[in-house]
Amino acid sequence: MDMQDIEKGTDSPPRKVLVTGSSRGIGAAIASAFAGSGSDVAINFSKQGGRSEEQAKRLAAEIEAMGRKAVLVAGDISQKDAVKKLFSEASENLGGLDVVVLNAARAPFKPIERLLERELRALVETNYIGNIFCVQEALPYMERSKGHDKHIIFISSLGSRFYNPAYPLGSMKAAMESVVRDLSETLFKRGVAVNAVSGGLVKTDSFKVLRQFIDGIERIPEGLFVMPEEIADVVLFLCSPSSRGIRGQTIVVDRGLSNSLHRNA
Amino acid sequence: MRQALISDDKVIEELKKAAAETLAIDVASIKADSSLVKDLGAESLDFLDINYRVEQTFAIKMARHFIIEHIEEMFGEGTALDSDGRLTEKAVKLMKIRLDAAAEGAALDTLKPGMDMDALPVMITIRSMAGSIMDILDTLPENCTECGKSAWKTENGTRIVCGACGADAVYKNGDDLIKEWLQKTQDEQKIV
Repeated sequence: MDMQDIEKGTDSPPRKVLVTGSSRGIGAAIASAFAGSGSDVAINFSKQGGRSEEQAKRLAAEIEAMGRKAVLVAGDISQKDAVKKLFSEASENLGGLDVVVLNAARAPFKPIERLLERELRALVETNYIGNIFCVQEALPYMERSKGHDKHIIFISSLGSRFYNPAYPLGSMKAAMESVVRDLSETLFKRGVAVNAVSGGLVKTDSFKVLRQFIDGIERIPEGLFVMPEEIADVVLFLCSPSSRGIRGQTIVVDRGLSNSLHRNA
Repeated sequence: MRQALISDDKVIEELKKAAAETLAIDVASIKADSSLVKDLGAESLDFLDINYRVEQTFAIKMARHFIIEHIEEMFGEGTALDSDGRLTEKAVKLMKIRLDAAAEGAALDTLKPGMDMDALPVMITIRSMAGSIMDILDTLPENCTECGKSAWKTENGTRIVCGACGADAVYKNGDDLIKEWLQKTQDEQKIV
C-alpha cells in the first residue's frame, strides 16, 4: 500500500475521530477543530464524576451544536481494560474509527532523581504504556473502518528536547517521538499514517503548574505563547491529504520559542 | 522571627480573595473554616492557582508538595502510604502532631490510618492554608539580606520590604519548612 491508498475517500461520510484527554485544554481544542471540519468526535476523560466529566459534557454540547456527533468515553489510558472499553465504545457509537489523537498525559512535577517508585511507574504507565495500549486497541477498529484515510497523531511537547525544571514528562515525550518514528514505518504498510505535534508554551491548565516550577516564565513575551487552536490546526493539517509527504515526524508549534538560545529581557 | 507586620486576619482576607478569583465565586460566601474542596469546590489545579495568587500577593513561595510526599521522600517509600495509597499509622501520627500544633481539632478527628490519601485535600480550609502562609512569613529574617539593616515595613499591607534599601524580604519556602519540621519531629519522637 502506498500513500495514495491512505489518502483515498476523503469525500465520504463524516470522519470518526477519538481524542484522548480531551475534556479541556489542547485536547478539547483538537476535538472542537475536528468537529468544526465536519468530523464526529469521541471525547475521552479519565475519571467519572469529576470536573473533567462536566467539562467533557459541555464540550460535547458545543460539538452537537455544530451539527456533529459527540460521544463521551471515560477511561484511564494506563489501564488496559479501560482502554479496551473506551475504544470499543467510541468505535461502536461513532460507527467506526479513522483518526486517533493521543493527547492524554499525567505526570508529577518534581526532579527525576526524586521520583518515588510509585511515581516512576505511573509516569511510564500513563505516558508510554498507555499510549501503546491505545494504538494496539485502535488498530483493528481503524483497519475495519471504511471511507477515510487513517491517522494517529501523538501530542508531544518541547520537554522532549529541552530541560524544564521538575518536568519528568519530558523524558516520556522524547520516548513518544521515537515511538512515532517506529510506528510510522510499521503502520504505513497497514494504511495508517503516524505523526506528532509538539507544542511550545501553551496557556492551558497545566500552565498553572508550570509557572510554579519555572521561575521567570511570566516574563516570556506573550507573543511566544501558543494558543491550543494553533496546535489543533496543525493536527488537522497532518490528517489532511496535504500532509501526504510527512511521515513519522514531530512538527513543532511554538511560535519560534525554541529557535533562539538568547532573548533580550 | 515571629513577624508582626502582617496579621492572621490580613492573610485570611487575602486568601479568601485569591480563592474567590480562582474559583469564580463571591468572596462573601467564603468563611475562614470553609473546606476548599468540600465547601468551595476546588480541585487540584485550583490549589496551584490559589497558591500562585498568594505568592504574588505576599512575595513568598508556597509548598509544591504535600506533607505525605515529603514523608515518603525523606523516610522512604511506603512510610506514609501503603501500596493502595492509604495512610499508614506513622503518617497519621505525624500529621496529628502537626495538626495539633496548628489547633485543627476537627481535622484531627477525621485522620485515621487506612484513610485514602485523596481524602486529605478535603481537610484543607482557608484557616489551615492561612496558617501555612503565616509560617512562611514568620521566617522573616531579623535583618535585611541586602543591606543588613533591620527596618522592615509593609507595602500594601502584604509585601514586607526593607525600609532602608527597598529590597524584598526573603523567606524560607513552604517545602523547606515542612522538611525542617519533619526532621525535627522525627529526631525528637522517632516516629518513622
